[in-house]
Amino acid sequence: MFSDGYVEADGFRIRYLEAGDGAPLVHLHGAGGPRLTPAHDLLSRHFRVVLFEMPGFGQSPENLRTTSMPELASTMAQAIGNLGLDTFNLMGTSFGGKTALWLALQAPERVRALVLEAPAAIRQEGAASPAGSPEEIALRLYAHPERLGAILLPDAATRAKTQPLVQRLRGPDRDADLEGRLSGLATPTLVLFGTLDRVIAPAMGRIYKETMPNCHLVFVYDAAHAISTDRPEAFADVVADFLDRHEAFVISRTPTVIHP
Amino acid sequence: MKVSFFETVRYRAPQALPSEWPVPSGAYDRDAGAEAYRGMIERLEYVEELGFDWVSVSEHHYSPRILSPAPMLSAAFIAARLKKITIALLGPIVPQSNPVRVAEELAMLDTLAQGRLVVGLLRGTTNEYLTYDLNPAEARERTDEGMELILKAWTEPQPFGWQGRHFQYRTVSIWPRPLQQPHPPTYALGTSREAGEFAARHHLGYGVSYGPFEVMAKATRYYREQCARYGWEPAPEQIVYRANMVLAETDDEAHATLRAQPNQAPFAMRAGVRDAFMKLDARNIAGEARAPIVSGALPTTFVGSPDTIVEQVRRCRDVVGAGVIDLSLHPPGSAELEPLMRSLELFGKKVLPRIRGM
Repeated sequence: MFSDGYVEADGFRIRYLEAGDGAPLVHLHGAGGPRLTPAHDLLSRHFRVVLFEMPGFGQSPENLRTTSMPELASTMAQAIGNLGLDTFNLMGTSFGGKTALWLALQAPERVRALVLEAPAAIRQEGAASPAGSPEEIALRLYAHPERLGAILLPDAATRAKTQPLVQRLRGPDRDADLEGRLSGLATPTLVLFGTLDRVIAPAMGRIYKETMPNCHLVFVYDAAHAISTDRPEAFADVVADFLDRHEAFVISRTPTVIHP
Repeated sequence: MKVSFFETVRYRAPQALPSEWPVPSGAYDRDAGAEAYRGMIERLEYVEELGFDWVSVSEHHYSPRILSPAPMLSAAFIAARLKKITIALLGPIVPQSNPVRVAEELAMLDTLAQGRLVVGLLRGTTNEYLTYDLNPAEARERTDEGMELILKAWTEPQPFGWQGRHFQYRTVSIWPRPLQQPHPPTYALGTSREAGEFAARHHLGYGVSYGPFEVMAKATRYYREQCARYGWEPAPEQIVYRANMVLAETDDEAHATLRAQPNQAPFAMRAGVRDAFMKLDARNIAGEARAPIVSGALPTTFVGSPDTIVEQVRRCRDVVGAGVIDLSLHPPGSAELEPLMRSLELFGKKVLPRIRGM
């Protein structure tokens, strides 16, 4: 069960949700704000999972102060430190994937490994955030929205509050400053894309792989942008294995004995 | 209209064989087998000379009917021995294959054949599920996922992992890649809604087989509707129709030949297995449920004299929308080669030149 708490950083009071023991796994959410998925439960069996609500998202007051992604990353690094986490695994989803990359660039010694779920740091030209009615947004985010019970999207007021912040921080589709730094980031990195992603083209995944010295690209079949909601078991399985073994996760440990 | 010859590798059994599938392996005659493959090349040299565009091969197991359990081998052997004709591998049975291996072999085959390859990917006939212990309930999902992985393995330039439902790989990076780019012309085969949707979504061709024109037209119409939904329109040669043809000098003769053919299931299974498959193997035509083919002969939709056949091919083009017909000119499994060669010659000389420009 996830319980919530608050931590001060950079003058913000930042909410977080936490569950599990083991090595810390910090999660930075996407532009829709923090939302627990079955993948968080699965990961909390192996890790101490801490899902932050970044300033201006979710229930937090509007954030008019943060001006750039590196600045948000620096705030989050302080928040993580103020929770007593010196080194940690870092996972970023979509928008939060870019925050996570900046955080790792700013403090590489603190990040043991990086997991980027459908990261929005490198986008195809003209990529647009999901917009429109909740149904239209759900169709962009999920492979099979009809299979989900309740679709939890932020309400209109929350979206109105966060949209200017997202627009201000998301940066250009191709951010030369960020991409120029990636070749120097040796952190073991797992980049995941759903084969049905309709927000960020899955082909963007190969750019991380080409650029970063220790990057691994995994396609999650039949998942769209919200991989951890569409295929939580598949997502949590490969993430946990990667965080456990880093690049050695390519060696199979799946038993195939049928009968002894 | 492009024309393809469906090569079924004629095995002439020296003695009568049981008809039940699987046919006992011990009944196999090695000399007859060697002769079947020798004869295949002789026949295909003639097929090439007659001007057929493609020769197609398929995957079937545990039976003398179509002696080609490893169609990659058939295709590679044919590619090495024939110089011009396109080899249509229709196709590996995806749900019981290792998709990465299939992607590798097809890329290698395309390169060996200097780009003379077209590929069909399919779920396979019901009996084949017994070959490698495939659960019929999973066949559809394994096919869809396997096809997606094959396409990804052909086109993704960086090593990647695959976190699937039925397949998992942590690092895939095939060599060689296909000679044809981004990959050989590829067809999703089958009448199902799933096959049509998959083909449309991935801008692939589409192939149906054996059924009457009007019935197959339901499937190809659905495919074209899906293509439109994805914002593109398939070219005529992106729809293949495989069919049985009985061709003779006159209509009467052709119909008499058809009547004389045994009404036997292509791969007849024991009643209890057949009946269980009727319950377990769900199939559809553009979403409309249909029974799996486990009993009775496959229909013959082209029958008659050259004049009649030319008109039937025209109707097939108009009704099914096919730009390629893949023809079985004599029942597979028949030990008689003479009638096959006669139809082949008649087709090559009196039909092919007249349908080529359609």
